[in-house]
Amino acid sequence: MARQRHAAALLGGVLALAVSLAPRAARANPPDTYGFGSRETAMGNAVAAETRGVAANYYNPAALARSRGLEVSIGYFRANHYLEMNGRDNGVDPVKGINAGLVAPGRLLGIPFAFGLGLHLPDDRISRVRALRQEQPRWELYDNRNQRLYLAANLAIEPFPWLQIGGGLSFMSSTRGQLNISGAANVLQPDESQLRHEVDADLTAIRYPQAGIRIILSEDVALAAVYRGEFQLGLDLGAHLQGDIVGLTTALYDLETHSVNNFLPQQLVFGGSWKLAKNVRGTFDARWINWSAYVSPVARLDVLLDIPPPSGGWPSTITPPQTPAATRIVPLRMHDRIIPHLGVEWRAYGSRRLEGFVRGGYEISKTPIEPQTGLTNYVDRDRHTLSLGLGATARRLAKELPASLSLDVHAAISELIEDTTKKASAADFVGDYSAHGYIVNLGLMLTVAFDGWGAPTKEEP
Amino acid sequence: MLGVASGLLAARGAAASPEDLFGYGARTSAMGATGTAHATGYEAAWHNPALASVVRTPKLTLGYTGGVLRLDAQGDGLPGRISSAPVKGTTIGAEIPVPLGGRFAHRVGLALAFYEPTDVVVRGRVLYPEKTQFPMVDNRAQSVTIRAALGVNVGYGIRVGVGFAALAEVVGTVVAATDATGRVGTRVEDQLVATYAPVLGATYDLPLNGPARWRFGATYRGEQTARFAIVIDGSKLSSLQIPLFNISGLAQYDPAQAAVEVARSEGLGVLAAQVVYKHWGAFPGLLEPTVVCNDGGAGACGLTPPKIDWHDTFVVRVGAEQGFELARGAVARARTGAFYETTPLPSEIPGSEAYDAGVKGVVTVPTRYFDSNRLALTVGAGLALSKPLPPIDLDVFAQYHVLLPRAVTSVDGNGGALSRGESSGHITVIGMTAGVRF
Repeated sequence: MARQRHAAALLGGVLALAVSLAPRAARANPPDTYGFGSRETAMGNAVAAETRGVAANYYNPAALARSRGLEVSIGYFRANHYLEMNGRDNGVDPVKGINAGLVAPGRLLGIPFAFGLGLHLPDDRISRVRALRQEQPRWELYDNRNQRLYLAANLAIEPFPWLQIGGGLSFMSSTRGQLNISGAANVLQPDESQLRHEVDADLTAIRYPQAGIRIILSEDVALAAVYRGEFQLGLDLGAHLQGDIVGLTTALYDLETHSVNNFLPQQLVFGGSWKLAKNVRGTFDARWINWSAYVSPVARLDVLLDIPPPSGGWPSTITPPQTPAATRIVPLRMHDRIIPHLGVEWRAYGSRRLEGFVRGGYEISKTPIEPQTGLTNYVDRDRHTLSLGLGATARRLAKELPASLSLDVHAAISELIEDTTKKASAADFVGDYSAHGYIVNLGLMLTVAFDGWGAPTKEEP
Repeated sequence: MLGVASGLLAARGAAASPEDLFGYGARTSAMGATGTAHATGYEAAWHNPALASVVRTPKLTLGYTGGVLRLDAQGDGLPGRISSAPVKGTTIGAEIPVPLGGRFAHRVGLALAFYEPTDVVVRGRVLYPEKTQFPMVDNRAQSVTIRAALGVNVGYGIRVGVGFAALAEVVGTVVAATDATGRVGTRVEDQLVATYAPVLGATYDLPLNGPARWRFGATYRGEQTARFAIVIDGSKLSSLQIPLFNISGLAQYDPAQAAVEVARSEGLGVLAAQVVYKHWGAFPGLLEPTVVCNDGGAGACGLTPPKIDWHDTFVVRVGAEQGFELARGAVARARTGAFYETTPLPSEIPGSEAYDAGVKGVVTVPTRYFDSNRLALTVGAGLALSKPLPPIDLDVFAQYHVLLPRAVTSVDGNGGALSRGESSGHITVIGMTAGVRF
C-alpha cells in the first residue's frame, strides 16, 4: 500500500513537472526519420516495448526505469540522401551528428526511478532555416526538417515490477523579432551608403511532451504505448526600413511576416516485444502520425513599400523595385498515416563476459502528401527501409570499470519508390516530373552501463 | 526592396549567462554567489567543475527564479526608469556520481546545470546607441544556461575538473531576387551554430589538523559569445545598386574570467571569500557596421558603431552558511553573503554616427549606454532531509542589488558633451529549488 502511495506521489511529481513546463511549439526530430541509437535503428525502430538505456529517451521514456545503474552512451550516425527528380540528384544534404545521452537510475521512496537525457547534435549546426517559395520543388520531409538538434529530458518510475511509466519534455525554440534599418542608401556608390541597424529579437522557449508506458505481461512478452506531442516552429518578424536613396528619393519599407517554419505532428505508438525462441526476440510497433494537421512552411507576408519617383522621374538605367505581390498560400494537404515497424534481435553468442547480437528490421512508410498536381511541389514518395546491425557487450574488463561496455553498429537503407507527379495544367511552370531515391544510414553507438559487475541482464522482456 | 529582411526570420540571438549576474543555484546564490571552493552538487557546473567530484548520490533538482530590474537613467533627455523585462525562469540541475571501481572509486562525478527563462530562450536586443539602455544588465538576464562538468578527486587534497558552457549563434544569408517570371522571391539559409566555452577548475584542501577544513579553489571560465550575423543581399531585386546589409551584432557576451576563493568549513558552518577578475577589455561591442563595403568588407566604409574602451572588472564576494540539526534526518541552514562588482563601462564614452535625413548628412548622436558598480546583499535558507525522512533538499534565496549612482557622459570627437546622465537602480531576485536524492 505504501509502495502504491509512493508510486502515486512520484507519478504526480512527474506530471507536475510536465505541467509546470507546459508545452508550446518546436521542430521536427531527426530520430523520427533516422532512429536514435544503433541497436534500435537496426531493429527497424520497432522498439517501443524493447528499448532501454539512453535510446529510451526517444522511443519510450518509461523504459528508462529498466536501467539498474548509470548508463552513458555516445555514438555517431550519417544518413546520405540520394534523391532524384527527373534523373537529376537534388543534392539533399546528409544528416549527420552525435547521438548521446545518459540515464541515472536509483530508488526513491523505495520505488525504482530514473532520470534520462537524450541528445542528437548535428555536426554542422544546431538547426537550419531554409525558406523556399511554395512552387519550388523540394523533398519536404528530408530537405530541411531533419537539420536540427534534438534534446529531451525524461523521468521514469517502476511502481510495480510489471509496470513502467515515464514522461518528459523535448526542447526547442521559436523566433520573433523586429529589425530596423535606417540611413541613406547610395545606389550609385553603394560603399558611400550611410546605414545602420538595430535588432530586437527573442528566441522563445518551446517545449513539447512525450510520455510512455511499458507493461511486462510475462517473461516473454511486453507491451508499450508512447505519445509524442505536436509542435510548430513559428517565425514572426517585423522589418522597417526608412531612409533616403541618396540624390534620388526616399524609401519606406515595412514588412510583417508570420510562418510555421517547421511542424512535427503528434504521434502515438503501440508496440510489443515477444521472446520467439531462447535467444531470439521479435518486436512490432505501429506508429500513428497525425500528418493531416500539418501546416505549410510558407510565410504569410504583409508588405508596405513606398519609394516615390524622383522629381525628374527615374533615370532610364534604373528599374525601381516593386512591392512584392501578397503570397497566396496553397494549403498542403496531408493524410494521417500508420507506419508498421518490425524488428528482431538474436543473441548469437553469450558467456559471462561477452555477448554478441545480430539484429534486423523493416518498416514501410506510405507518403502522407497528396499528389502535387497544382501549384505546389512538396515531393515525397512511399519509403521502404531495411536495417541490419551487430552488437557486442563485454563485462569485467577492469576492476576500475565495474560496468558493461557495449558497441552497437547499424546500417539501414531506404528506398523511395519511383512515381511520376502529373500536373493538372499543361501550362504548369514546373511540369510533370518523376522522383525516387535512396537513403543510406550508417552509425554506431558505444555504451557504458555501470550495472555492478555486469552480470548478464536479467531475462526480462 | 527589403523583402530580404524576411531573412531575419532566423535572425535570432543566442545565449549567455544570468549566472554571471546573479550566480547559479539556490545555495550559493544565498552565499554572495561564492562557491569556487565550497559549491556542492549541480552548482559545481558553474562554480568549479572540480567540486563535481564530491557528488556521492544522484540527485535531481528543480527550481524557479524570479527577479525585477529597476534601472534608472536620470538627466536631460533621458527617460528615468528604463523598461526592463522581469527575470523568471526554471532551474534544472542534475548531479551523478560516476561509479568507477578500484582506485577510482568515489572519485569522479558529473554535474549538469540548466536554466531556462520562462518566456524566452534568449533575448537578442541590440538597439541604436542613442536609445537609453543598460547593455551590461538588461538583456544578459534573459538567456538560457547549459553547463556540464566532470570532476575528479586526484588525492592529496587535490581535485580537478573540466566543463563547458554551450551557447548558440546565428550565421546565414538572405538573397532576394526577381525570378524569370518577374516575381520577387527570397532564398533564406540561416543556421544556428553551437558555440562552447571551456570551464576549468581545481581545489586544494590544506593538510591541517583540527576540526576546521580550509579549501582553496580556482576556476577559469572562457569567453562566451553569441553573435548573430546575417548578410542580406537585395542587389538582384532591381537595377538599384543596393549595398549588402550586414545585420550583425553581439546578442550576448560573457567575458573570460578567473575566480579564486578560500572557504573554511567546520561542522555545519561555512565561510567563504572570493575574488573574480573579468576580462571585459576584450568585449568587441554590441553592434557591427551595417554596410558590407565592396572594398574591405563590413566596417571599411559607411557608418561605424562607437568604439568604447571597456574596462576589465573585479568582483569581491563573501558568503556564510550555518547549519542546525533540527531532528534526526533534518538539518536547517541559514545563509548570507554579499558581493561588489565594478562596471566595465567607462564614465566617458564616445558618441555615435547616424544619418540625419533633415540635414542630409552624417551627424554625431549621443551614445546612451549606462551601467553602475553593483553591490548585492544575499540571504537564504535550506532544509535537508535524509533517512528516516524523505531524501529531499529545499533551498530558497533572495538577492538585493544596488546599482550605485554613477555619472556617464557621452562626448563628441572634440571632447564636448553630447549627453550627461546618472545611472542607478536596484535589482531584486528570489528563487527556490527542490532536490530529490535517489
